[in-house]
Amino acid sequence: MPIQILQGTLDLMILRTLATMGPQHAYGIANRLQQVSDDALNLNQGTIYPALVRIEQHGWTRGSWGKTENGREAKYYTLTKAGLKALDEETERWRQMAGVVEKLLAEEQ
Amino acid sequence: MAGWRRIIARLRRLLNNKRAEEDLAHEVASHLTLLTDDFERRGMSPEEARLAARRAYGGVEQAKQAHRDERSLLWIEQTMQDLRYGLRTLSKSPGFTITAVLTLALGVGACTAIFSLVNAVLIRSLPYGDPEHLVYLFSPNPSLKIPAEVICPSYGDFYDLKREAKSYADMSNFEQAQFGVAQQGTTQRIGGARVDADFFSTLQSMPELGRTFAGEDNLQAHTKVAVISHSLWVSMFGARPDALNRSIQLDGANYQIVGVMPPAFEYPFKSDLPYGDSDIKSTQIWVPLALNAQARTSRGIGNNVSFARLRSGVSIHQAQAEMAGIMARLDKEYAADPRDADAGLTREWGALVESFTGISIGPVRPLMRLLLAAVGLVLLIACGNVANLLLARAAERGRELGVRAALGAGRGRMVRQLLTESMLVGVGGCAVGIVLAVFFLRLLPKLDPGNIPRLNEASLDARVFLVAIGGSLLTSLLAGFMPAIGASRMELTEFLKSHAMRGSSAGHSRLQSALIVAQTAMVVVLLAGAGLLIRSYINVESVDTGFTRSAMTFHVSLDQRYSKPEQHVAFYKDLMAKLEALPGVQAAGSVNYLPLTNSESLDFIYVDGFDNKDHQQTEGRDVTPHYFAAMNIPLVAGRYFADADASARANRPVIINQKFAETFFPNRNPIGGRITGDPKQALLWTVVGVVADVRNTSLEEEPQLQMYHASYDTGDASVAVRSTLPPATVANEIRATLKSIDPSLAATDIHTMGDLVSIATARRRFQTSLLTLFAGIALIMALVGLSGLMRFSVNRRTREVGIRMALGAERRDVMLLILRNASVLVIWGVGLGLACTWIATRLLKSFLFGVGQHDPFTVVTVSVLLVVCGLMAAFVPARRAASIDPMQALRTE
Repeated sequence: MPIQILQGTLDLMILRTLATMGPQHAYGIANRLQQVSDDALNLNQGTIYPALVRIEQHGWTRGSWGKTENGREAKYYTLTKAGLKALDEETERWRQMAGVVEKLLAEEQ
Repeated sequence: MAGWRRIIARLRRLLNNKRAEEDLAHEVASHLTLLTDDFERRGMSPEEARLAARRAYGGVEQAKQAHRDERSLLWIEQTMQDLRYGLRTLSKSPGFTITAVLTLALGVGACTAIFSLVNAVLIRSLPYGDPEHLVYLFSPNPSLKIPAEVICPSYGDFYDLKREAKSYADMSNFEQAQFGVAQQGTTQRIGGARVDADFFSTLQSMPELGRTFAGEDNLQAHTKVAVISHSLWVSMFGARPDALNRSIQLDGANYQIVGVMPPAFEYPFKSDLPYGDSDIKSTQIWVPLALNAQARTSRGIGNNVSFARLRSGVSIHQAQAEMAGIMARLDKEYAADPRDADAGLTREWGALVESFTGISIGPVRPLMRLLLAAVGLVLLIACGNVANLLLARAAERGRELGVRAALGAGRGRMVRQLLTESMLVGVGGCAVGIVLAVFFLRLLPKLDPGNIPRLNEASLDARVFLVAIGGSLLTSLLAGFMPAIGASRMELTEFLKSHAMRGSSAGHSRLQSALIVAQTAMVVVLLAGAGLLIRSYINVESVDTGFTRSAMTFHVSLDQRYSKPEQHVAFYKDLMAKLEALPGVQAAGSVNYLPLTNSESLDFIYVDGFDNKDHQQTEGRDVTPHYFAAMNIPLVAGRYFADADASARANRPVIINQKFAETFFPNRNPIGGRITGDPKQALLWTVVGVVADVRNTSLEEEPQLQMYHASYDTGDASVAVRSTLPPATVANEIRATLKSIDPSLAATDIHTMGDLVSIATARRRFQTSLLTLFAGIALIMALVGLSGLMRFSVNRRTREVGIRMALGAERRDVMLLILRNASVLVIWGVGLGLACTWIATRLLKSFLFGVGQHDPFTVVTVSVLLVVCGLMAAFVPARRAASIDPMQALRTE
C-alpha cells in the first residue's frame, strides 16, 4: 500500500538523503527515496520540488549546475552547514515524535 | 488563502522571478532527461522511455506551480513575520520610534516641499508647445551702456529678419500694454499685450474657446477684437460660453471677444521678460498689434518684444550667427538714414538670441540649486540621526540579537529584520513628512517674493510624491544598513565577550561618533550660509536709498483728452498745488520714472569743459520742482528747483547727483556747469544743484549717473507725497484730490516707497528666511542626535561611572567627563564644518551683499553657537550620569 507522506517529513528525508549520498540532483534524490522505500513511497518525482525549494530557501542546501556521469546537465543540491544542523534537529524532532506515537500505539494494544 | 497566495505569487513572478523560472524549467527538463535515459537503459525505445519518464515524473506544470507557490510562500511568510515583529518592537520603544519618525519627517517634509517648488519652477514645462525651441531676439547696441536684453530689433529690422532668416519656423512681435477695464463701476488697470498675427501660432498655443487672431485682424487697426485669459473669463463673464458674443471695454473702446485662452496661458508673465513692464504681473488680454505701413518699416527703437521658434535642428548659436549677419548688413544699409536714428546713437545693432527657458528660469536657477542643496543637507542630517538612533538601538539590543543568532537565525534574516524595522520608520517618516510638506507649501506663498515664476503652482504631484517616497525609503535604508550589517557581522563569541566586558566598553562606537561629527559639520555649513545671508539682508536693508521710505506714491495716467502740453502742465500744476494744500502734506512732486520700478530713461550727455567721450549716458528724469522735498532726497550743493525752473526756455536748469558731479566735475564746482544732450545743438543745460545718489535700479546696485530736469509736461507720472499723516489717510486724500480735479482719472499703484523697498528685498527675504529655517531645523536635529548619543553613552557606561564614583570620583568629575566627551565631538564637527564652509560659501558668493564669503564674524558666531548648543544638549545626559547611584550601578549587571 502506498504511504501518504506526512507534512514536513519529506524535507527530513531529502536532508538525510543528501547527507548520506553527498551532492545529488532531484532525479537522484527521488530515485533514492523510491529505492529506500521499496517503492512503497509511490510519489511522482515532481512532487519533491516544493520541498527542494523550501529547503533551499531555509539555506539548508545550495544548488549548482553540474554534469552527471553520462554527461547530462543537472542541478545538484549540496547540504550546507546550516542544513547539517537542521538535519540533526529535524531528526531529533522526528525521533521524539515517532517515539511518542510509538508509545501511544503500544499502550493501545 | 490559496487565492491570496496565488496573487502574491504572480506579483512576485512579475517582479524578479525570471531567473528562478528559467532555472526551474531547466531543472525539470534535466530531470526528465535523466529519467528517460534510465528507462532507455532498461530497454525501452526512446519514445516509450519518454512517455514513461513523463508518467514517473507526474504533471510537469503541477510540479512547477508547486515550486512557485512554495517559493513565494516563504517570502511572504517571512515578510509578514518581519513586519509584525518590527511593529511590535517599534511600539515597545515609543521614544525611539517617535524621534526617528519625526526626524525623518522633518527632513523629508522640507525636501519634498522644496522639490515641489523646484518642480513647478524648473521642471514642469511651460504652457507652450515645445518651449525648448522658443527664443527671444535681441539687438544689443554697444554704444548704449544698458543690458543686452533690453532692446529687440526695430520693426523694420524685424520684418527684414523675418523675410531673410532661415533659422526660424515662426517669428512674432508684441508690445506690452496696460488697459483700463471697467469692472463693477471702477476702472482697473489690467496687464495686456498687443500681438501680431503670428503670436499664438509661434507659441503653439490654442484657445480653449473661440479663436485667436487671424491675419486680417492685424491688417486693419479698426477691427477691435480681443482674446482674454481664462481667469478674466471667469472673473468677468462667470466662465459663460456666450462671452464670445460679448465685448469688453478697454480704455473706453469696445473690443469684441473672439477667444479665451486656457488657464495656464498668461504669457508673458513678469518673469518671462528680462525687462518687461514691471506693473504687469501676467497678461490677461491680447489685442492685435495692427501696425500701419509706416510703423512696419520704422528703424527706431520700439517697445516691442521679438521672439521666434527655432526650426528643429537649428541651434541657438546658428540662429544668432545668421541674425548677426543680417543685422550687420542692415546696419550698413540704413546707416545713413537720419530719419529714424535717435540723436547721438550710431546704427550698430548686434544680434543676441536667448532661449525662453534661459530668460524666465535662468535668474532663479542658482536660488533653486541653493535651496535644493540646503534641504539635501537637512535630509542627510536626518539620515545621520536615524542611523545613529538605529545604531544605538542595535547596540542596546545586542543581547537580543546575540541570542537570536545563537538560536540559529541566519545572517541574511537578521539583516532583513533590521532593515524591515528601518523601512517601517521610513514609511512613517514619509507619511508624516508629506503632511509637513503640505503644511510647508501652504506657508510658501506667504514668503512669495513675487519674482519667482510659477511659485504659486508648487504642489504635490506624482513626481513630487515619487521623490518623497523614494527619498524617505532610501534614507531609512541607508540609515538602517550600517546597523544591520554591524549586527549581522557580530560573531557569537564576540558577542559573548563584549557582553562580559560591557560594563566598561567605550560607550559608543566610532561610527556613531563619526556620524555626529559629520552632522555637526553639515549644520555648520548651513548655519554659516544662513548667517551670511542674514548679514547680507541686514546690509541691504540698511543701504542708503537716497529717498525716504515714508513717501507715499501713486501713478496717474492722463488719457486722450489731455493731448496738448499746456493741458499736461495745467493738470500737474493743479494736482501738486491741491496735494500740497492738504493737511499734513509737506511736499508733493512728480517724476516720470519712480525709483525701484524697473523703468529708466537714458540721456546722452556732453559736459562743457570735460574731455567727453562718445556715448556718455546718464539716467534722466523729469520732475516737478518739489519732487526732492517730497522724496526727501538730500541737497548736497546749490539749490533745489524753483517753480520758475520748469518754464525756463534757455539755459534750462538741471540738478545732478553726487556721482555725476564727481565724474564730470572733478576738482571743480559743478554749480553753473553746462551740459548738453547733443553736441551739434546749442541747447545747454545749467547745473543749479547737486543732490544725493538715489538707488533707482535696485538696492544692491551702485547708483548711476543721474540728472533731473524740471518739467510739468508729462502724460503719465508717478507722484510722491510726503505727509505727517498715516499712509491710509494720505491714500484717501490722494484719491479724493484726484477725483476733485478729474473724476474719470484714477490713482493707481498707491504705496509708500517703503513698500517698493520691501518688494525689492523680497527675494532676499525669501531665500534668507528659507535657508535660516533649514539651518534651524538642521541645528535642532543635530542637537537631538548629540543628546541622544550622550544619553545612550551614559546608559552604556553606568557601570563604569559607578566604579569611578565608588573609587572616589565626584559628581562634578562625572559630569565633566560626559561634557568633555560631547565637546570633543562638537569641536571636531565644527572644525570639519568650517573647512567645508570655506569651500561651500564660494557657491554662495552671488547671493552675498556687503559681506565677505569668509566673514569672520559669521564664522565665530556659528562656532560659538554650536559649541554652546552642543554643551546644552549634552547637559541633561551629563547630569543624569552624575546622579548615578554607584551601588545601583554596580548591581545592574
